[in-house]
This record gives sequence, structure tokens and C-alpha cells, in this order.
Amino acid sequence: MRIRGLVLSLVPALLACSSDAERTLGDSTGAAGTPGGTVVITVGAIPKSIFPPLVSSIGENQIADIIYDRLAEPAGSLNTVGMDGFEPELAAGWEWGPDSLSIVFRIDPRARWHDGVAVTARDVKFTYELYVDSATNSADAPLLANIDSVSVRDSLTAVFWYKRRYPEQFFDAAYQMRIMPQHALASVRRSALDTSSATRRPIGSGRFRFANWSPGSLELVADTANFLGRPKLDRLVWVLSPDYDASLVKLIADDADFLEFIRPDKLSQLARNPQLRVLTYPSLNLGFIQFNLHDGATQRDHPILGNVAMRRALSMAIDRARIVRTVFDTLGRVAIGPTVRALGSADSTIALPPFDPGAARRILDSLGWTDPDGDTLRTRGGKPLRFTLIVPSSSGVRKTAAEAAQQMLKDVGVDMRIEMLEINAWLARSQGRTFDATFNSTILDPSPSSIRQAWGSESGLMAGGRNHSGYQSRAFDAYVDSAIASMDAAKGKAYYRRAYETIVADAPAIWLYELVNVAGVDKALRTTGLRADAWWARIADWSWEEAAAERTNQNGGTPRTASR
Amino acid sequence: MGRIVLRRLLASAAIVFAVASFTFVLIHLAPGDAYTVAAQSARYPGVIAQLRAEAGLDRPIAEQYVRYMGKVARGDFGKSFSQGRAVHDVLADAIPNTLVLMGAALACSFLAGIALGIVQARAQGSPIDRGLGTLSLLFYSMPDFWLAILLLLVFGVWVNVLPTGGVHAEPYRYADLSAGGKLADRLQHLVLPVAALTLLTAAAIARYQRSAMLDVSGEDYVRTARAKGLGERGVVMRHVLRNALLPVITLVGLGFPALLGGAVLVEKVFSWPGMGSLTVDAVLSRDFPLVTAAVVIGSAMVCAGSLLADLLYAVADPRMRRG
Repeated sequence: MRIRGLVLSLVPALLACSSDAERTLGDSTGAAGTPGGTVVITVGAIPKSIFPPLVSSIGENQIADIIYDRLAEPAGSLNTVGMDGFEPELAAGWEWGPDSLSIVFRIDPRARWHDGVAVTARDVKFTYELYVDSATNSADAPLLANIDSVSVRDSLTAVFWYKRRYPEQFFDAAYQMRIMPQHALASVRRSALDTSSATRRPIGSGRFRFANWSPGSLELVADTANFLGRPKLDRLVWVLSPDYDASLVKLIADDADFLEFIRPDKLSQLARNPQLRVLTYPSLNLGFIQFNLHDGATQRDHPILGNVAMRRALSMAIDRARIVRTVFDTLGRVAIGPTVRALGSADSTIALPPFDPGAARRILDSLGWTDPDGDTLRTRGGKPLRFTLIVPSSSGVRKTAAEAAQQMLKDVGVDMRIEMLEINAWLARSQGRTFDATFNSTILDPSPSSIRQAWGSESGLMAGGRNHSGYQSRAFDAYVDSAIASMDAAKGKAYYRRAYETIVADAPAIWLYELVNVAGVDKALRTTGLRADAWWARIADWSWEEAAAERTNQNGGTPRTASR
Repeated sequence: MGRIVLRRLLASAAIVFAVASFTFVLIHLAPGDAYTVAAQSARYPGVIAQLRAEAGLDRPIAEQYVRYMGKVARGDFGKSFSQGRAVHDVLADAIPNTLVLMGAALACSFLAGIALGIVQARAQGSPIDRGLGTLSLLFYSMPDFWLAILLLLVFGVWVNVLPTGGVHAEPYRYADLSAGGKLADRLQHLVLPVAALTLLTAAAIARYQRSAMLDVSGEDYVRTARAKGLGERGVVMRHVLRNALLPVITLVGLGFPALLGGAVLVEKVFSWPGMGSLTVDAVLSRDFPLVTAAVVIGSAMVCAGSLLADLLYAVADPRMRRG
């Protein structure tokens, strides 16, 4: 009851976080507080690597993003087409070549590395060559495949040369790489970069500089002479709390100021602590039940789920709104298809199969799956209408949602069995395509073009491809290709819409929910710019309220907030 | 004696080799590998295949085994997949933390357990015996993570007198402390995890100790000692306790591997970066070089613990020295 009461009290705040608002800022507290102070962030794992070409987890990305700069940074809209909405970072300006096959970036002459050396165009060229060198082993290298080369026109002018024209040319150059210092890394053997002291004690150009890294914590301090301005905080500290409950205790005990994700069932604990507040921000996290369209053993159509009418009937038997309410209350939203609202290509007007159990029953009847003996389980040719959904045991949310879906399918005569698997076993079964249905939850890439890897035919045929369903549709592929190739943003969005409509009609998945991210924050901390793909994007502009200066750390250590 | 020790050491080497081999095979047979999680979000599967090939994971398991064991024999545990560092560097970070935590916890557990056992045995059947027995049973039956969270809530939040986790304060605060302040800070951070482990373990030791004390108390030589006019304190300390320690020495041997094995759940709750949580994370991320190294160390400690228990037996019981 307490949880429900709290959640209801959050409703106005969440409603205020409208679709448009979500695309820009997740928090409206602004950041005009007192300069100085420390923010302690409690995390489940301390990064293993912060060398940009090798970072993979969200935790590693946030540190790399803060220490290093990109040439330009996308604003809250997450637009990846063209260069609208990008803000200068290391590059003070840019211009397209006359044939659109090159972009000239002018480096900000004020930009300095943390050791005082000037940032130059040679660093940009070095960074590009570092990312694409196979010896570096960067998983991001293929993202730069359309860039032919980078040349240095003068010390402050880098030119990106492309193999072809495409809408995300600017995005690839500006966003996919964090620029690294040639003078610090050039002498290190590429294959040894991840373990070298040069990358374990990195020199970047961001508004915070590296200070300390141990198995239990990681610390950055303000780069007070930074060309983009001194950050409002003095110090950022990430502290390890592998146990989620212990993380929450740290926040409540005032040993930490920020916890990135608050589980719905923990909100009541936060509400009892007046020094804390919850902060919602948009998410790229999409949860869906994914069908295997092929029989794993024979590679023919799956005997049950290979049929599009069957998949649509199953979709219509699921009350997605009820599942979202049950599992997340107001902290989740019904999915709008294979994308999420925070992405620029999203279109929330596409009609997904409606919840209509009556229609689902009629479709199943028409397919020959009937219930002649009235035992509520449909059969055809003596075979029961039964399949298995694999779910990772580490996800309580997915387990609860799967059980709700199981009951709804039972109501129309379908027996969906749930098999809980250890996370690696679940991943191995999903990637090996040895499943009937799998409960997937994924954080989407900011670029809508990544849908080609998620659902494109090529990915469905390729071993290790992310299209685990094996979904193949020439129409879908063509629309996605046209969207990706479209230089006109409006046309591109229209093609994406048609691609989404096509795949929604084919129903290779039941798209259930997208999350609303909820962070736990010290009430005196003024936050700003929590972007769906990076809550830390504007952390240099966070600050402590003046009143917080009066509060002392209850554990008796050195005070953290501004004037302390 | 020397020959027995040498024979035990050779047997230990064979055991460690067998355990390492078994672990290597077992973790390779488990579903997924070090790149399974990365493959789920990778946009380009070719890159993952390349990374697997670089790590040698695409080779036959027999070839991987021979290569890996060859390196281990030369003292090279390889590079951790999940941490991107040499395994010995990763272990060098975790082992001191675990030694401190588990060393303190084991010492406190045995001291408290033995003391409780003696008190209970001497007050057999009294309200003190029954009260302490109930209390120790209560702690013994508590799930470790639950007790840890409870201590964290009580002393870290409600009473708010102890830190909620970590080995020491945040580095920027810790660096400003004097040498004495640093020691005090580390001890403060040690209190709750050691208390949790001690409460859980001391209960079992106390029950063993009480039972052994009562068994020995009825022996003829104890009666003889009393008949000779020896004081009760002397009887207990010199005749009863010394003989009643033998079963507890076995527990010391069993507890010894924990010195480097760590305590997974307590480490997690108190954010203690030790071997327990490191090993579990390595298993979950299929980081076989790190898992195998941790298991090798663990099995070596089991062998060493067993040897240590035998040596302690010999010290406590002269009959053992005579073989």
C-alpha cells in the first residue's frame, strides 16, 4: 500500500515529464547552485576499462565520456541525422565539403589536454586511426567504416573524408569517437593500450580530470582551467556497492548522493527520507517477447510461431497496458513498437495489434487450434498449443511480466511455459536461436539505423546476428535502407515509419514496455540535462544548493557539499 | 615428520593440478563465454568473432587447455577477459582485502566461539547455557546476507555510527587523514563485515567447543586431576580445554581456505572488493583465466589448511607427533 501511495504521489511529476520534455531534459531543477563540493555516485561495478575504444558497459562509458571530449555532442533531441542539434565540444565549428564527401572540423584553439598540451587536429587523426586499427580491437571500429580517412589541414583543422554520402556522416565523426591525446598514447603498442599506465591514468580534455582508480572507487576532479569552463562541482566519486540494497542504504545513510536506477519496489524506502528525491528521465530501454520464427533443429518455419496470424493472435491476447501497470505502475510505458519515444525516429501513432482476446480466439480457431474437450488448452491434430518462453533469472521484472503474459495466454487456450535461465545460459540460447520465445530487454542505440542489426534480414541469417527471431522481410529491409540513405530528415522519418508498420504487422515480437528511468538523488543536488542515452551528459553543470552547505555529513567525515 | 610433510606437499600439488583442470573444463562446458554479454548488444557480430579468435576461444578445448596449463605451469595466469588486466594484478588488488577481512573474522570467530563454548560447558544446563545456546543457534540459522543487511541498517543508517561499506573512506578524504586516522578509518570500515562474519561463524564453533568440553570433562584423567587437588581453573585450562581443542583445530583447517576465498555475500553487502565477489563475478562473466586462478589459489589453501590442521594436531596431541 505504501508503494502504491508513493507511486500515486509521483503521478503528477511523471505526467509532467511529457513526451517532448523527455526528449530534452529529464530534470527541471536547473543547476544554478553553489560552486564546489563533491558528488558521490553509488554503482554496482567499478569500470574495468576507461580507454574509449574498449569501453563497453554503461558505467565505463560514463567515465570515458566525462574525461574525454567528442568533437561535438548531440543535444537532448538525440537527432543523429545531419548536424542539427549538435553542440560544439572540441570542435568550435565545422563545414561540409562542396561534394558532401568531407567535413572540416575546426578545433577550438583554447582546448587543452589535462597535462596542459594543446589539442590539435593531429590528435583527431590519431584517434581515428587508433579506433580502426585492428590491433586496438575496438568493437566500435565498424561504426567508422564509412569514413575513408582523416587528414590534417593545419594544426587546428581536421578533415574527415567519406566513402559515400549518407545522413549520419556528421554523427559518425562527431559522436562515435572520443578524441585522445597523441602525445600520451602514440608510443604505446596498440595491443597493450588497455593495460598501459597511459590508459589506466588517462589524460583527457573533459571538464573533469582523472584522479584515482581503485577496485572500490573511482575519482575525478574538476579541471579548473578547462576551456569549456570550470565545472560547478569539485569532485565526482564513484563508489562500489555490488549489492543493490546496500547501494540504497548508502544513499539513505548519506554516504552517496546519486543512484542511477531505483527499482519500483524501493520507492517507498526513498519516500521516507526527506533528504532524498526521485528524479525521472527518459530511457532507451525496451522490453519485448521475441518469437523464434524458425525451428531451431530444422531451420524450417517454427511449427507454431512461424505463422504470422498466430503471432498476431498471441499479441492480441496480451493486455500490455495491464502488464505495464502491474510491473511498473507509472514507471513504465506501453511500448510503441520496435523503438522508443526518446529516439528521433519514433512514431507513437503506429497501431500495434490491439488487446482483443475475442479476436485472438477467433484467429486461433480459424488456424485450426481448437478446444474440443473444453479443458482450456487448444490442440490441433492432437498436438497442444504450447511453447516455451525463456527468461533470465536475474530479472525479477521480466519474470513478473512473463507470469502475467502466461496467464493472459492461458485465458485464450495457449500454454506458454516459462523457463528461467542463468543469464549466460539465457544469452547462449537466445544467440544460438534455440528457443521458442525469449524475453528480451535491450537498451537501444541512439541511432535509429541500428534497427537494421536488430531486425534486418541479413542479421537474421548471420551467425551471431542480433536478429534472434530470424525475421526476414524484403519490404522492411527496403524501408530501413531508404531511411538510412535519406538525406532529408522528414523523408527519413517517413521511411522509418513504414518500416515500423511493416514489422509491427508481421509481429515477430510482442513489444511490451519501455522504462521510465528513476534515479535517487540528494535533494540538495541540482541536476540538469539527464539525456536518455547518458544521464551524465551535463554533469559538469550540476551543483549543490546553498542550503546544503549547512548540512553536515552524518558519518563525521569531511563534508561533501559546496562550502564544506 | 618431515617426510610426511613432503608427501603431503606432493599430494597437494597433484590435487591443485586436478582441480585446475576440472575447473577449466567445467567453465568451458558452461553455456556462453566471455563475449556472450558483449555479443548481445554488439552491432557487428564480426567484431565479437574477431575478439573470440584473438582470445583463442575459437580453438578446440584441448588446445586451449594445453596452452593455458602450460602458461600456468610457468606462473602466468594470463589476462582477465572481464577486467582487461593481468590476472595477477587483479588478484594482487583483491587478496590483501580478503586477507584482512577474513583474517580478522576468523580470529574473532574462533576466539569468541571457543570462549562461548567454555562458558556454556562450565554452566551446563543453567539459564546462561540455555540462553547462549539459543542465541548462537539464532545467529547460526540466519542467512548471511540478511544479517549483513540488518547490521548495515542498524549501525550504518539508524544509529549511524559506522560506515556503510568499502575498505576505507573515499580516497580524497582518506588521503587527508593522519597515519593514526587512516588506521582508525580502516578499523571502522572493518567492524561491520567482521561482526557479521563472526556472529555467523562463532555460533557453530561455540557448539563444537561446548560439546567437546563436555565429552572431555567426563574423562578419567580429568577426574584424576581434580582428585590430585588441582584448582578448577587449572583443570579446565590444562586438561579439558587442551584436549577439547582437537575438533576445533579441524575447523581451523576448514576455515583456512576462506582466508583467500572470501565471503561472497558479506563482501557484496559491505562493498568489500575481495576474492569472494571477484570469483563469483568472474564465473558469471565466464572469465576462465580469473576463475581458474582463483580456484587454484582456493584449492592450494584447502591443502595448506589441511596440512596446518595436522600440524596443529601434533602440537596439541603428543600421540600425533609419535605417528
